[in-house]
Amino acid sequence: MTSARSQSLMLGLIGVLVFLATWEVIGTYRLAGLTWPPLSTVLAFLSTPAKLPLFGRAAAATFTSVGIGYLCGGFGGLVLALVSHLIAPVRPGLDRLIAVIHAVPSIALAPLLIVLASADVTPPIISGLGVGYIFYVAATSGLATAGASHRDLFAVLGAGRLSTALRLDLPSALPAIASAMKLSVPIAFIGAIIGEWFGASRGLGLLIVSAMQNFQIPLLWSAVLITAVASLSMFALFSLLERLVQERMR
Amino acid sequence: MTSTALNSVSHVARRYWAVALVVAGWQIWVSAAGLSSIVLPGPLAVLRDFVGDPLSYAAPAGRTFIVAIVGLLLGFTLGGALAVLSWSSRLLNGLLTPLGLIFTSIPVVTLIPIIARLLGYDVRTVIAIVALICFFPAFVYVGAGLRALPPGSDDLFRVFGGSRRQRFLRLVLPSSVPNLMLAFRLTAPEAVLAAVVAEFLMGTDGLGYMFRKAAGEFDTERALATSLIATITSVACFGLALAAERRVLRRWT
Repeated sequence: MTSARSQSLMLGLIGVLVFLATWEVIGTYRLAGLTWPPLSTVLAFLSTPAKLPLFGRAAAATFTSVGIGYLCGGFGGLVLALVSHLIAPVRPGLDRLIAVIHAVPSIALAPLLIVLASADVTPPIISGLGVGYIFYVAATSGLATAGASHRDLFAVLGAGRLSTALRLDLPSALPAIASAMKLSVPIAFIGAIIGEWFGASRGLGLLIVSAMQNFQIPLLWSAVLITAVASLSMFALFSLLERLVQERMR
Repeated sequence: MTSTALNSVSHVARRYWAVALVVAGWQIWVSAAGLSSIVLPGPLAVLRDFVGDPLSYAAPAGRTFIVAIVGLLLGFTLGGALAVLSWSSRLLNGLLTPLGLIFTSIPVVTLIPIIARLLGYDVRTVIAIVALICFFPAFVYVGAGLRALPPGSDDLFRVFGGSRRQRFLRLVLPSSVPNLMLAFRLTAPEAVLAAVVAEFLMGTDGLGYMFRKAAGEFDTERALATSLIATITSVACFGLALAAERRVLRRWT
């Protein structure tokens, strides 16, 4: 068992290395034209000391948007899910409202938000809307997973609706919520980046789009790489948390 | 007769009261605050713009729809094919699975500017972006479906001496179909939205481009009507995928 596992880990590592090597080879031999730089060039560009303040400022702005959007969206999604769980008649309406908001393309929301609020709060709001959707959907289905016998026990012992929700339904929704925490990481980043494409004053999204327009290829790839690595590491962290929760709740 | 009519009205009301409340609040706020229509037109003004000239929306919407469908099918064909390849070879599976995981955990939308630079600013790039965004869910879900066989069925095939080929065609491939359809339903609305974002960034054609043009000319009514059409297109794609899923599952199980 362990040998099969370490073997698949080895293969996975080789797979990632092959991918990175292919990237390097395509870039070095210009197989995809001038717009595909080798990985080493991108890394060298990233580690130039003169560029550090630029990337630092942009990353700080984007990560702040992602963080605020993630926290507010996650919390809001959970609260709405609890409301729709506790007050059954509002549920169909809330479900539809959230589905409709989710279906509105973010490029349509962004300019509206820029007019109504400001360019700098647009990224966290779009990010929060995406995250809130995932949390709402996961939490509403998670809150309904408690077993019938537990429910009967709570009813027999005279627990009220609220205390049943907090002590039975919420704990049994934890695995679903942990999955939502993981799955909404890339959504949070996408929201922040798209929000920044609409005239934010700083951030990685702004860097990406202006590098695309000005043909600054190493800058473009570096900004995308930073975003991808940040999202990947946060995703990995929450995957660990998800596994812990699932083992604890079994 | 009247009771069924009443029933369906209350059915709609139960589902859409919150959406109606938001739209009504929007209209009241716009009228009360006396906002200029450049800043924010009310829903009535947006609707009027659409009803006045629905044909000018039809062509871009159709183009976006077709681009999204072509990209979706392309991405699913590639993703499904790669999932089957990695099912058939343990080596390939070990090499590809982590890449599939990596690409589902990074924001793929940020790759749009890179692909736009690589392929040039035209419709092929939009299709490529939609295909890329649909590729990873297809690869991951179909891959999971190929491995999640009904309990005991694999043993049965082995006991009766089914060959690898038979096992694949009669057992493994059919059992991955529900997963394939689930991925299809989850990805179809995203495909339209991805197409719109790509069109917006690269400005060639379709709803995204129409939106960009309208917003650039401060024609906010038209811009909002365009996003309304994009929303409807996305929801329609979801509905079509859901219908397809139900139909396939009914035949399958």
